[in-house]
Amino acid sequence: MPDSKLITLSEAVARFTWDGMQYASGAALPVGSDAIVFGRELLRQQRRDLHAVFHCNSQQLNLLAAMGAVTRAECGFSGLEVFGFANGLRRAVETDRLVLEDYSNLSMPLRLLGGALGWPFVPATVNIGSDIQDRSAFAPGHYPSREKIPTVVDPFSGRTIGVFRPLTPDLAAIHVTLADPLGNAIMLGTEWSRFELSRAAKKVVLIADAIVDTGCMRQFPNLVRIPDIIVEAVVHWPFAAWPQGSPGMYDIDEAHMTLMNRALATEAGTEAYVRDYVHGFRDIASYLDMIGRETCARLSGTATGFLLDPYRQWLLPDGGMLA
Amino acid sequence: MSAQDYTRQEMMAIATGREIRDGELAIFGVGLAMLAGYFAQAHHAPRVRAMTEGGVYGATPVGGLPWGIECNRISTNATSFTNAIDALGCLVASGRCDVGIIGAAQVDRFGNVNTTGIWDGRIGETYRPPKTRLTGAGGANDIACGAKRTLIMVAHEPKRFVDKVTYISSPGYLEGGDARSRYGFPGGGPAAIITTLGILRPHAETREFMLDAWFAFSDVAEIKANTGWDLKLSPEAAIVPEPTDAELAALRRVDETGALRKRS
Repeated sequence: MPDSKLITLSEAVARFTWDGMQYASGAALPVGSDAIVFGRELLRQQRRDLHAVFHCNSQQLNLLAAMGAVTRAECGFSGLEVFGFANGLRRAVETDRLVLEDYSNLSMPLRLLGGALGWPFVPATVNIGSDIQDRSAFAPGHYPSREKIPTVVDPFSGRTIGVFRPLTPDLAAIHVTLADPLGNAIMLGTEWSRFELSRAAKKVVLIADAIVDTGCMRQFPNLVRIPDIIVEAVVHWPFAAWPQGSPGMYDIDEAHMTLMNRALATEAGTEAYVRDYVHGFRDIASYLDMIGRETCARLSGTATGFLLDPYRQWLLPDGGMLA
Repeated sequence: MSAQDYTRQEMMAIATGREIRDGELAIFGVGLAMLAGYFAQAHHAPRVRAMTEGGVYGATPVGGLPWGIECNRISTNATSFTNAIDALGCLVASGRCDVGIIGAAQVDRFGNVNTTGIWDGRIGETYRPPKTRLTGAGGANDIACGAKRTLIMVAHEPKRFVDKVTYISSPGYLEGGDARSRYGFPGGGPAAIITTLGILRPHAETREFMLDAWFAFSDVAEIKANTGWDLKLSPEAAIVPEPTDAELAALRRVDETGALRKRS
Protein backbone atom coordinates (compact mmCIF):
# COMPACT_ATOMS: atom_id res chain seq x y z
CA MET A 1 0.00 0.00 0.00
CA PRO A 2 1.64 3.28 -1.09
CA ASP A 3 2.00 5.99 1.52
CA SER A 4 -0.31 8.95 1.85
CA LYS A 5 1.07 12.17 0.39
CA LEU A 6 -1.14 14.41 2.51
CA ILE A 7 0.84 17.21 4.11
CA THR A 8 -0.09 20.58 5.57
CA LEU A 9 -0.20 23.80 3.56
CA SER A 10 2.70 25.33 5.48
CA GLU A 11 4.80 22.21 5.03
CA ALA A 12 4.11 22.18 1.28
CA VAL A 13 5.28 25.77 0.87
CA ALA A 14 8.30 25.19 3.12
CA ARG A 15 9.38 22.05 1.27
CA PHE A 16 8.63 22.87 -2.36
CA THR A 17 9.18 26.62 -2.81
CA TRP A 18 12.16 28.95 -2.62
CA ASP A 19 13.04 32.55 -3.45
CA GLY A 20 13.71 33.16 -7.13
CA MET A 21 11.99 30.00 -8.34
CA GLN A 22 9.80 29.64 -11.39
CA TYR A 23 6.41 29.14 -9.82
CA ALA A 24 3.31 28.05 -11.72
CA SER A 25 -0.18 27.91 -10.35
CA GLY A 26 -3.14 26.36 -11.92
CA ALA A 27 -5.44 26.33 -13.49
CA ALA A 28 -5.03 30.04 -12.92
CA LEU A 29 -8.45 30.93 -14.18
CA PRO A 30 -9.20 34.55 -13.33
CA VAL A 31 -12.43 33.85 -11.51
CA GLY A 32 -12.33 30.06 -11.19
CA SER A 33 -10.19 27.20 -10.09
CA ASP A 34 -6.81 28.31 -8.76
CA ALA A 35 -4.80 27.41 -5.66
CA ILE A 36 -5.19 30.87 -4.18
CA VAL A 37 -4.62 29.77 -0.59
CA PHE A 38 -1.17 28.55 -1.66
CA GLY A 39 -0.34 32.13 -2.65
CA ARG A 40 -1.47 33.36 0.79
CA GLU A 41 0.94 30.86 2.37
CA LEU A 42 3.77 31.96 0.04
CA LEU A 43 3.34 35.44 1.50
CA ARG A 44 3.17 34.12 5.08
CA GLN A 45 6.54 32.44 4.46
CA GLN A 46 7.82 35.65 2.80
CA ARG A 47 8.83 34.16 -0.54
CA ARG A 48 10.44 36.77 -2.83
CA ASP A 49 11.54 37.31 -6.40
CA LEU A 50 9.23 34.70 -7.87
CA HIS A 51 9.04 34.15 -11.62
CA ALA A 52 5.33 33.48 -12.04
CA VAL A 53 3.97 31.28 -14.83
CA PHE A 54 0.22 31.76 -14.86
CA HIS A 55 -1.90 30.75 -17.84
CA CYS A 56 -4.10 33.65 -16.72
CA ASN A 57 -3.83 36.08 -13.90
CA SER A 58 -5.98 35.21 -10.89
CA GLN A 59 -6.50 36.80 -7.50
CA GLN A 60 -3.40 34.84 -6.43
CA LEU A 61 -1.08 36.57 -8.89
CA ASN A 62 -2.89 39.84 -8.22
CA LEU A 63 -2.08 39.46 -4.50
CA LEU A 64 1.52 38.25 -4.96
CA ALA A 65 2.18 41.12 -7.40
CA ALA A 66 0.61 43.71 -5.09
CA MET A 67 2.97 42.56 -2.31
CA GLY A 68 6.02 42.69 -4.57
CA ALA A 69 6.68 38.95 -4.24
CA VAL A 70 6.78 38.45 -8.03
CA THR A 71 9.38 40.20 -10.20
CA ARG A 72 8.74 38.40 -13.51
CA ALA A 73 5.53 36.95 -14.87
CA GLU A 74 4.34 35.26 -18.04
CA CYS A 75 0.61 35.32 -18.75
CA GLY A 76 -1.99 34.87 -21.45
CA PHE A 77 -4.47 37.20 -19.79
CA SER A 78 -3.83 39.68 -17.00
CA GLY A 79 -7.30 40.84 -15.95
CA LEU A 80 -10.08 39.49 -13.74
CA GLU A 81 -12.67 39.02 -16.51
CA VAL A 82 -15.95 40.72 -15.59
CA PHE A 83 -14.42 41.94 -12.29
CA GLY A 84 -12.20 44.23 -14.36
CA PHE A 85 -8.50 45.01 -14.27
CA ALA A 86 -6.32 43.27 -11.69
CA ASN A 87 -5.31 46.27 -9.62
CA GLY A 88 -2.38 44.70 -7.77
CA LEU A 89 -0.83 43.32 -10.93
CA ARG A 90 -1.40 46.47 -12.97
CA ARG A 91 0.14 48.64 -10.25
CA ALA A 92 3.23 46.43 -10.16
CA VAL A 93 3.53 46.54 -13.98
CA GLU A 94 2.92 50.29 -14.31
CA THR A 95 5.60 51.05 -11.67
CA ASP A 96 8.01 48.59 -13.33
CA ARG A 97 8.37 46.48 -10.18
CA LEU A 98 7.17 43.45 -12.14
CA VAL A 99 8.13 42.65 -15.72
CA LEU A 100 5.18 41.05 -17.50
CA GLU A 101 5.71 39.05 -20.69
CA ASP A 102 2.51 38.76 -22.70
CA TYR A 103 1.24 35.66 -24.44
CA SER A 104 -2.29 34.48 -25.19
CA ASN A 105 -4.67 31.91 -23.76
CA LEU A 106 -3.64 29.35 -26.39
CA SER A 107 0.08 30.02 -26.48
CA MET A 108 0.53 29.51 -22.72
CA PRO A 109 -0.88 25.94 -22.67
CA LEU A 110 0.93 25.14 -25.94
CA ARG A 111 4.19 26.17 -24.25
CA LEU A 112 3.31 23.93 -21.29
CA LEU A 113 2.52 21.08 -23.69
CA GLY A 114 5.90 21.62 -25.34
CA GLY A 115 7.57 21.44 -21.93
CA ALA A 116 5.58 18.34 -21.03
CA LEU A 117 6.65 16.55 -24.22
CA GLY A 118 10.26 17.68 -24.06
CA TRP A 119 9.95 19.41 -27.42
CA PRO A 120 12.68 21.92 -28.39
CA PHE A 121 10.04 24.41 -29.54
CA VAL A 122 6.35 24.61 -30.36
CA PRO A 123 5.12 25.83 -33.76
CA ALA A 124 3.22 29.10 -33.49
CA THR A 125 0.25 29.80 -35.73
CA VAL A 126 -1.14 32.36 -33.29
CA ASN A 127 0.52 35.40 -31.65
CA ILE A 128 2.59 35.91 -34.83
CA GLY A 129 2.02 39.14 -36.75
CA SER A 130 1.02 41.02 -33.61
CA ASP A 131 2.95 42.88 -30.92
CA ILE A 132 2.81 39.75 -28.78
CA GLN A 133 5.54 38.58 -31.14
CA ASP A 134 7.19 41.94 -31.89
CA ARG A 135 7.42 43.27 -28.32
CA SER A 136 9.25 41.48 -25.51
CA ALA A 137 9.28 42.76 -21.94
CA PHE A 138 12.03 40.25 -21.06
CA ALA A 139 14.22 41.35 -24.02
CA PRO A 140 13.07 44.97 -24.43
CA GLY A 141 15.99 46.24 -26.50
CA HIS A 142 14.93 44.88 -29.87
CA TYR A 143 12.03 45.87 -32.09
CA PRO A 144 10.68 43.89 -33.74
CA SER A 145 11.76 41.26 -31.21
CA ARG A 146 12.73 37.86 -32.54
CA GLU A 147 13.94 36.58 -29.18
CA LYS A 148 10.52 35.88 -27.73
CA ILE A 149 8.81 34.19 -30.68
CA PRO A 150 11.53 33.57 -33.28
CA THR A 151 10.75 32.30 -36.76
CA VAL A 152 11.63 29.06 -38.54
CA VAL A 153 10.86 27.75 -42.01
CA ASP A 154 8.28 24.98 -42.04
CA PRO A 155 10.15 22.19 -43.88
CA PHE A 156 6.91 20.86 -45.36
CA SER A 157 5.31 24.01 -46.74
CA GLY A 158 8.34 26.30 -46.98
CA ARG A 159 6.36 28.91 -45.07
CA THR A 160 7.90 31.04 -42.32
CA ILE A 161 6.20 30.43 -38.97
CA GLY A 162 6.84 31.40 -35.35
CA VAL A 163 8.04 29.18 -32.53
CA PHE A 164 7.22 29.26 -28.83
CA ARG A 165 9.67 28.51 -26.05
CA PRO A 166 8.43 25.52 -23.96
CA LEU A 167 7.79 25.97 -20.24
CA THR A 168 9.02 23.69 -17.44
CA PRO A 169 8.25 25.49 -14.17
CA ASP A 170 10.03 24.42 -10.98
CA LEU A 171 6.74 23.81 -9.24
CA ALA A 172 3.07 23.71 -10.16
CA ALA A 173 0.63 24.21 -7.29
CA ILE A 174 -2.51 22.87 -8.89
CA HIS A 175 -6.00 23.37 -7.55
CA VAL A 176 -8.25 20.34 -7.99
CA THR A 177 -11.75 19.56 -6.79
CA LEU A 178 -11.02 16.09 -5.47
CA ALA A 179 -7.81 14.24 -4.66
CA ASP A 180 -7.16 10.98 -2.90
CA PRO A 181 -4.36 10.73 -0.32
CA LEU A 182 -2.06 9.21 -2.97
CA GLY A 183 -2.32 12.16 -5.34
CA ASN A 184 -4.87 11.06 -7.93
CA ALA A 185 -7.10 13.98 -8.88
CA ILE A 186 -10.49 14.67 -10.43
CA MET A 187 -11.31 18.17 -11.67
CA LEU A 188 -14.90 19.32 -12.09
CA GLY A 189 -15.40 22.05 -14.66
CA THR A 190 -12.99 22.91 -17.43
CA GLU A 191 -9.50 21.66 -16.70
CA TRP A 192 -8.17 24.73 -18.60
CA SER A 193 -4.45 23.77 -18.78
CA ARG A 194 -4.00 21.64 -15.69
CA PHE A 195 -3.30 18.48 -17.71
CA GLU A 196 -0.36 20.04 -19.58
CA LEU A 197 0.81 21.94 -16.49
CA SER A 198 0.92 18.79 -14.37
CA ARG A 199 3.25 17.18 -16.95
CA ALA A 200 5.35 20.27 -17.69
CA ALA A 201 6.26 21.17 -14.10
CA LYS A 202 9.30 19.61 -12.44
CA LYS A 203 7.23 19.05 -9.29
CA VAL A 204 3.48 19.03 -8.65
CA VAL A 205 1.62 19.77 -5.43
CA LEU A 206 -2.15 19.36 -5.45
CA ILE A 207 -4.38 21.64 -3.40
CA ALA A 208 -7.73 19.86 -3.14
CA ASP A 209 -11.07 21.23 -1.99
CA ALA A 210 -11.93 17.76 -0.71
CA ILE A 211 -10.22 14.42 -0.17
CA VAL A 212 -11.80 11.19 -1.37
CA ASP A 213 -11.04 7.54 -0.85
CA THR A 214 -9.02 5.91 -3.65
CA GLY A 215 -12.11 3.81 -4.38
CA CYS A 216 -13.50 6.92 -6.07
CA MET A 217 -10.61 6.95 -8.52
CA ARG A 218 -11.08 3.26 -9.26
CA GLN A 219 -14.75 3.96 -10.04
CA PHE A 220 -13.96 6.85 -12.42
CA PRO A 221 -10.43 6.22 -13.75
CA ASN A 222 -11.20 7.96 -17.05
CA LEU A 223 -11.78 11.18 -15.14
CA VAL A 224 -8.48 11.05 -13.25
CA ARG A 225 -6.51 13.42 -15.48
CA ILE A 226 -3.71 13.86 -12.94
CA PRO A 227 -2.44 10.48 -11.67
CA ASP A 228 -0.50 9.99 -8.43
CA ILE A 229 2.73 8.96 -10.16
CA ILE A 230 3.53 12.59 -11.07
CA VAL A 231 2.41 14.17 -7.78
CA GLU A 232 4.74 14.98 -4.86
CA ALA A 233 2.23 16.02 -2.24
CA VAL A 234 -1.43 16.66 -1.56
CA VAL A 235 -2.79 19.51 0.56
CA HIS A 236 -6.40 19.39 1.68
CA TRP A 237 -7.88 22.85 1.93
CA PRO A 238 -11.61 23.58 1.64
CA PHE A 239 -12.44 26.76 -0.29
CA ALA A 240 -8.84 26.73 -1.59
CA ALA A 241 -9.84 28.90 -4.58
CA TRP A 242 -11.82 31.42 -2.53
CA PRO A 243 -12.90 34.12 -3.37
CA GLN A 244 -12.96 32.50 -6.80
CA GLY A 245 -15.32 29.64 -7.55
CA SER A 246 -14.91 25.88 -7.88
CA PRO A 247 -17.55 24.08 -9.99
CA GLY A 248 -19.51 21.55 -7.99
CA MET A 249 -18.19 22.94 -4.70
CA TYR A 250 -18.80 26.67 -4.27
CA ASP A 251 -19.66 29.82 -6.18
CA ILE A 252 -17.60 32.97 -6.56
CA ASP A 253 -17.69 35.24 -3.50
CA GLU A 254 -18.63 38.33 -5.50
CA ALA A 255 -18.37 40.76 -2.58
CA HIS A 256 -14.90 39.58 -1.61
CA MET A 257 -13.68 39.56 -5.23
CA THR A 258 -14.53 43.27 -5.37
CA LEU A 259 -13.24 44.04 -1.85
CA MET A 260 -9.95 42.27 -2.53
CA ASN A 261 -9.32 43.91 -5.90
CA ARG A 262 -10.19 47.32 -4.49
CA ALA A 263 -7.76 46.77 -1.59
CA LEU A 264 -4.94 45.72 -3.90
CA ALA A 265 -5.23 49.03 -5.81
CA THR A 266 -3.16 50.83 -3.13
CA GLU A 267 -0.19 50.08 -0.87
CA ALA A 268 -2.22 50.81 2.24
CA GLY A 269 -5.13 48.69 1.08
CA THR A 270 -2.78 45.82 0.29
CA GLU A 271 -1.20 46.01 3.76
CA ALA A 272 -4.61 45.91 5.39
CA TYR A 273 -5.70 43.04 3.17
CA VAL A 274 -2.59 41.00 4.02
CA ARG A 275 -3.07 41.66 7.74
CA ASP A 276 -6.70 40.54 7.62
CA TYR A 277 -6.74 37.79 4.99
CA VAL A 278 -3.20 36.45 4.74
CA HIS A 279 -2.27 36.52 8.43
CA GLY A 280 -5.91 36.27 9.49
CA PHE A 281 -6.01 32.47 9.90
CA ARG A 282 -3.95 29.71 11.53
CA ASP A 283 -5.60 26.57 10.22
CA ILE A 284 -8.56 25.37 8.17
CA ALA A 285 -11.09 26.11 10.91
CA SER A 286 -9.95 29.69 11.40
CA TYR A 287 -9.73 30.11 7.61
CA LEU A 288 -13.40 29.19 7.29
CA ASP A 289 -14.19 31.53 10.20
CA MET A 290 -12.34 34.28 8.34
CA ILE A 291 -14.48 33.74 5.22
CA GLY A 292 -17.52 33.52 7.49
CA ARG A 293 -19.37 30.29 8.12
CA GLU A 294 -22.60 31.74 6.75
CA THR A 295 -20.83 32.85 3.59
CA CYS A 296 -19.33 29.37 3.22
CA ALA A 297 -22.77 27.83 3.51
CA ARG A 298 -24.24 30.26 0.99
CA LEU A 299 -21.44 29.74 -1.55
CA SER A 300 -21.71 25.95 -1.11
CA GLY A 301 -25.33 26.16 -2.19
CA THR A 302 -24.10 26.48 -5.78
CA ALA A 303 -26.40 25.44 -8.62
CA THR A 304 -23.50 23.27 -9.81
CA GLY A 305 -23.66 21.18 -6.62
CA PHE A 306 -25.18 18.24 -8.49
CA LEU A 307 -21.84 17.82 -10.30
CA LEU A 308 -20.42 16.50 -7.03
CA ASP A 309 -23.19 13.96 -6.45
CA PRO A 310 -21.50 10.93 -8.08
CA TYR A 311 -18.46 11.38 -5.82
CA ARG A 312 -20.05 12.21 -2.47
CA GLN A 313 -20.03 8.66 -1.12
CA TRP A 314 -16.20 8.65 -1.18
CA LEU A 315 -15.64 12.00 0.54
CA LEU A 316 -13.44 11.65 3.64
CA PRO A 317 -15.02 13.98 6.19
CA ASP A 318 -11.82 14.80 8.07
CA GLY A 319 -9.86 15.45 4.89
CA GLY A 320 -8.23 12.03 5.16
CA MET A 321 -5.74 13.13 7.81
CA LEU A 322 -6.95 10.47 10.25
CA ALA A 323 -7.23 7.75 7.63
CA MET B 1 -40.01 52.25 -33.66
CA SER B 2 -39.77 49.60 -31.04
CA ALA B 3 -42.50 49.70 -28.47
CA GLN B 4 -39.89 49.36 -25.76
CA ASP B 5 -37.12 51.52 -24.44
CA TYR B 6 -33.70 49.97 -24.87
CA THR B 7 -30.07 50.97 -24.23
CA ARG B 8 -27.27 51.56 -26.72
CA GLN B 9 -25.48 48.55 -25.28
CA GLU B 10 -28.53 46.39 -25.90
CA MET B 11 -28.68 47.60 -29.50
CA MET B 12 -24.98 46.75 -29.89
CA ALA B 13 -25.55 43.25 -28.50
CA ILE B 14 -28.57 42.64 -30.74
CA ALA B 15 -26.76 43.94 -33.84
CA THR B 16 -23.84 41.64 -33.00
CA GLY B 17 -26.14 38.70 -32.41
CA ARG B 18 -27.79 39.23 -35.80
CA GLU B 19 -24.40 38.45 -37.40
CA ILE B 20 -24.48 34.91 -35.96
CA ARG B 21 -26.13 32.34 -38.22
CA ASP B 22 -27.91 29.19 -37.15
CA GLY B 23 -25.74 26.09 -37.08
CA GLU B 24 -22.41 27.91 -36.91
CA LEU B 25 -19.53 26.82 -34.71
CA ALA B 26 -19.08 29.90 -32.55
CA ILE B 27 -16.83 31.07 -29.73
CA PHE B 28 -17.79 33.95 -27.44
CA GLY B 29 -15.39 36.00 -25.35
CA VAL B 30 -16.19 36.88 -21.79
CA GLY B 31 -18.51 39.73 -20.84
CA LEU B 32 -20.88 41.47 -23.23
CA ALA B 33 -19.72 39.33 -26.18
CA MET B 34 -21.09 36.29 -24.38
CA LEU B 35 -24.50 37.96 -23.98
CA ALA B 36 -24.61 38.82 -27.70
CA GLY B 37 -23.75 35.25 -28.66
CA TYR B 38 -26.20 33.57 -26.33
CA PHE B 39 -28.85 36.10 -27.37
CA ALA B 40 -28.44 34.83 -30.95
CA GLN B 41 -28.88 31.28 -29.70
CA ALA B 42 -31.98 32.22 -27.71
CA HIS B 43 -33.51 34.16 -30.60
CA HIS B 44 -32.69 33.10 -34.18
CA ALA B 45 -29.85 30.59 -34.03
CA PRO B 46 -31.04 27.75 -31.78
CA ARG B 47 -28.65 25.28 -33.39
CA VAL B 48 -25.55 27.46 -33.04
CA ARG B 49 -22.72 25.29 -31.70
CA ALA B 50 -21.45 27.58 -28.96
CA MET B 51 -18.34 27.19 -26.84
CA THR B 52 -16.18 29.21 -24.50
CA GLU B 53 -12.41 29.24 -24.66
CA GLY B 54 -12.26 27.20 -21.47
CA GLY B 55 -13.71 24.23 -23.32
CA VAL B 56 -17.23 24.51 -21.93
CA TYR B 57 -19.65 23.00 -24.44
CA GLY B 58 -23.41 22.70 -24.67
CA ALA B 59 -24.01 25.31 -21.97
CA THR B 60 -26.16 28.40 -21.68
CA PRO B 61 -25.74 31.03 -18.96
CA VAL B 62 -27.89 30.57 -15.86
CA GLY B 63 -28.48 33.38 -13.38
CA GLY B 64 -27.09 36.26 -15.44
CA LEU B 65 -23.87 37.35 -17.11
CA PRO B 66 -21.13 34.85 -16.22
CA TRP B 67 -18.22 36.41 -14.33
CA GLY B 68 -15.81 34.47 -16.51
CA ILE B 69 -15.47 31.73 -19.08
CA GLU B 70 -15.52 29.05 -16.39
CA CYS B 71 -17.89 30.67 -13.92
CA ASN B 72 -20.49 28.41 -12.33
CA ARG B 73 -23.11 30.42 -14.24
CA ILE B 74 -21.85 28.75 -17.44
CA SER B 75 -20.88 25.43 -15.83
CA THR B 76 -24.34 24.52 -14.53
CA ASN B 77 -25.72 22.89 -17.66
CA ALA B 78 -22.69 21.99 -19.79
CA THR B 79 -22.58 18.73 -21.71
CA SER B 80 -18.78 18.65 -21.96
CA PHE B 81 -15.84 20.19 -20.13
CA THR B 82 -12.47 19.94 -21.83
CA ASN B 83 -9.61 22.45 -21.87
CA ALA B 84 -8.02 25.49 -23.51
CA ILE B 85 -5.94 23.62 -26.09
CA ASP B 86 -9.08 21.82 -27.21
CA ALA B 87 -11.29 24.90 -27.56
CA LEU B 88 -8.81 27.56 -28.69
CA GLY B 89 -6.50 25.13 -30.49
CA CYS B 90 -8.33 22.15 -31.99
CA LEU B 91 -11.52 24.07 -32.68
CA VAL B 92 -10.34 27.65 -33.34
CA ALA B 93 -6.64 27.90 -34.31
CA SER B 94 -7.23 24.94 -36.61
CA GLY B 95 -9.55 27.11 -38.72
CA ARG B 96 -12.67 25.12 -37.90
CA CYS B 97 -14.56 27.82 -36.01
CA ASP B 98 -16.99 29.90 -38.11
CA VAL B 99 -17.28 33.00 -35.98
CA GLY B 100 -15.86 34.55 -32.82
CA ILE B 101 -16.90 37.62 -30.86
CA ILE B 102 -14.20 39.65 -29.12
CA GLY B 103 -14.04 42.98 -27.28
CA ALA B 104 -11.50 45.79 -27.53
CA ALA B 105 -10.08 48.65 -25.48
CA GLN B 106 -8.95 50.27 -28.74
CA VAL B 107 -9.49 49.40 -32.38
CA ASP B 108 -7.97 51.03 -35.45
CA ARG B 109 -8.89 51.69 -39.08
CA PHE B 110 -7.72 48.21 -40.13
CA GLY B 111 -9.49 46.40 -37.30
CA ASN B 112 -6.39 45.77 -35.18
CA VAL B 113 -7.28 45.46 -31.51
CA ASN B 114 -5.37 46.68 -28.46
CA THR B 115 -6.29 45.22 -25.06
CA THR B 116 -2.78 45.31 -23.60
CA GLY B 117 -2.03 48.86 -22.49
CA ILE B 118 -2.18 52.60 -23.03
CA TRP B 119 1.18 54.30 -23.57
CA ASP B 120 1.88 58.04 -23.70
CA GLY B 121 2.75 58.22 -27.39
CA ARG B 122 4.58 55.54 -29.36
CA ILE B 123 6.33 52.77 -27.46
CA GLY B 124 9.60 53.40 -29.32
CA GLU B 125 12.43 51.03 -30.18
CA THR B 126 12.81 49.81 -26.59
CA TYR B 127 9.83 48.23 -24.94
CA ARG B 128 8.62 50.00 -21.81
CA PRO B 129 5.65 49.29 -19.57
CA PRO B 130 2.40 51.07 -20.41
CA LYS B 131 1.11 54.04 -18.46
CA THR B 132 -2.11 52.09 -18.00
CA ARG B 133 -1.92 48.33 -18.05
CA LEU B 134 -5.02 46.60 -19.46
CA THR B 135 -5.96 42.91 -19.56
CA GLY B 136 -3.71 41.51 -22.27
CA ALA B 137 -4.85 39.40 -25.20
CA GLY B 138 -6.50 36.44 -23.47
CA GLY B 139 -8.07 34.22 -26.11
CA ALA B 140 -8.86 37.11 -28.46
CA ASN B 141 -5.52 36.85 -30.29
CA ASP B 142 -6.17 33.16 -30.94
CA ILE B 143 -9.71 33.86 -32.13
CA ALA B 144 -8.52 36.75 -34.34
CA CYS B 145 -5.96 34.42 -35.95
CA GLY B 146 -8.14 31.34 -36.29
CA ALA B 147 -11.86 32.09 -36.56
CA LYS B 148 -13.21 32.28 -40.12
CA ARG B 149 -14.66 35.65 -39.24
CA THR B 150 -14.34 37.80 -36.15
CA LEU B 151 -16.85 40.28 -34.78
CA ILE B 152 -15.44 43.10 -32.68
CA MET B 153 -17.82 44.60 -30.13
CA VAL B 154 -16.77 47.93 -28.63
CA ALA B 155 -18.25 51.14 -27.18
CA HIS B 156 -17.96 53.93 -29.75
CA GLU B 157 -15.75 56.62 -28.17
CA PRO B 158 -12.91 58.70 -29.67
CA LYS B 159 -10.34 57.26 -27.24
CA ARG B 160 -11.20 53.77 -28.45
CA PHE B 161 -11.38 54.41 -32.22
CA VAL B 162 -7.82 55.38 -33.14
CA ASP B 163 -6.04 55.71 -36.47
CA LYS B 164 -3.38 53.18 -35.43
CA VAL B 165 -3.28 51.23 -32.19
CA THR B 166 -0.06 51.58 -30.16
CA TYR B 167 0.07 47.83 -29.54
CA ILE B 168 -1.58 45.12 -31.62
CA SER B 169 -2.86 42.52 -29.15
CA SER B 170 -5.10 40.79 -31.71
CA PRO B 171 -4.47 41.19 -35.44
CA GLY B 172 -7.05 42.65 -37.78
CA TYR B 173 -5.84 43.47 -41.28
CA LEU B 174 -2.51 44.84 -39.91
CA GLU B 175 -1.42 47.59 -42.38
CA GLY B 176 -4.36 46.86 -44.67
CA GLY B 177 -4.61 45.34 -48.15
CA ASP B 178 -3.29 41.78 -48.16
CA ALA B 179 -0.85 42.33 -45.25
CA ARG B 180 -2.59 39.62 -43.24
CA SER B 181 -1.78 36.96 -45.85
CA ARG B 182 1.95 37.12 -44.90
CA TYR B 183 1.16 35.06 -41.81
CA GLY B 184 -1.03 32.36 -43.33
CA PHE B 185 -3.72 32.65 -40.64
CA PRO B 186 -6.61 30.25 -41.21
CA GLY B 187 -8.99 32.99 -40.02
CA GLY B 188 -10.28 35.61 -42.43
CA GLY B 189 -10.07 38.60 -40.09
CA PRO B 190 -12.66 40.95 -38.64
CA ALA B 191 -15.94 40.97 -40.59
CA ALA B 192 -17.49 43.84 -38.64
CA ILE B 193 -16.93 46.25 -35.78
CA ILE B 194 -20.24 46.60 -34.00
CA THR B 195 -20.41 49.60 -31.69
CA THR B 196 -22.81 51.49 -29.46
CA LEU B 197 -23.46 53.83 -32.44
CA GLY B 198 -23.38 51.66 -35.57
CA ILE B 199 -21.63 49.03 -37.66
CA LEU B 200 -18.32 49.33 -39.55
CA ARG B 201 -17.23 46.87 -42.23
CA PRO B 202 -13.95 46.53 -44.14
CA HIS B 203 -13.49 47.66 -47.75
CA ALA B 204 -13.01 44.59 -49.97
CA GLU B 205 -9.52 45.61 -51.18
CA THR B 206 -8.02 48.21 -48.85
CA ARG B 207 -9.49 46.51 -45.77
CA GLU B 208 -10.06 49.92 -44.23
CA PHE B 209 -13.14 49.96 -42.02
CA MET B 210 -16.00 52.08 -43.39
CA LEU B 211 -19.29 53.10 -41.88
CA ASP B 212 -21.86 50.57 -42.98
CA ALA B 213 -24.82 51.34 -40.75
CA TRP B 214 -26.08 53.56 -37.98
CA PHE B 215 -28.76 53.05 -35.36
CA ALA B 216 -32.10 54.80 -34.90
CA PHE B 217 -30.61 56.95 -32.10
CA SER B 218 -27.31 57.81 -33.90
CA ASP B 219 -26.29 59.45 -37.18
CA VAL B 220 -23.31 59.75 -39.51
CA ALA B 221 -22.09 63.01 -37.97
CA GLU B 222 -22.08 61.62 -34.42
CA ILE B 223 -20.26 58.47 -35.52
CA LYS B 224 -17.62 60.41 -37.45
CA ALA B 225 -17.10 62.72 -34.48
CA ASN B 226 -16.41 59.70 -32.28
CA THR B 227 -13.96 58.03 -34.69
CA GLY B 228 -10.26 58.90 -34.63
CA TRP B 229 -9.70 58.56 -38.38
CA ASP B 230 -11.41 60.06 -41.40
CA LEU B 231 -14.19 57.50 -41.53
CA LYS B 232 -15.50 56.88 -45.04
CA LEU B 233 -19.14 56.15 -45.71
CA SER B 234 -19.94 52.90 -47.51
CA PRO B 235 -22.12 53.42 -50.64
CA GLU B 236 -24.65 50.98 -49.18
CA ALA B 237 -24.70 52.59 -45.72
CA ALA B 238 -28.15 52.49 -44.13
CA ILE B 239 -30.00 52.55 -40.87
CA VAL B 240 -30.19 49.35 -38.80
CA PRO B 241 -33.70 48.14 -37.93
CA GLU B 242 -34.53 48.69 -34.27
CA PRO B 243 -34.77 45.68 -31.94
CA THR B 244 -38.03 43.82 -32.19
CA ASP B 245 -39.98 42.98 -29.06
CA ALA B 246 -39.00 39.34 -29.54
CA GLU B 247 -35.31 40.26 -29.80
CA LEU B 248 -35.41 42.39 -26.67
CA ALA B 249 -37.27 39.71 -24.76
CA ALA B 250 -34.71 37.07 -25.80
CA LEU B 251 -31.78 39.32 -24.92
CA ARG B 252 -33.19 40.16 -21.51
CA ARG B 253 -33.78 36.51 -20.70
CA VAL B 254 -30.05 35.92 -21.28
CA ASP B 255 -29.01 39.18 -19.61
CA GLU B 256 -30.85 38.29 -16.42
CA THR B 257 -28.76 40.59 -14.21
CA GLY B 258 -29.17 43.56 -16.56
CA ALA B 259 -25.49 44.09 -17.45
CA LEU B 260 -26.52 45.72 -20.74
CA ARG B 261 -29.22 47.89 -19.22
CA LYS B 262 -26.83 49.91 -17.09
CA ARG B 263 -26.53 53.35 -18.65
CA SER B 264 -22.99 54.64 -18.48
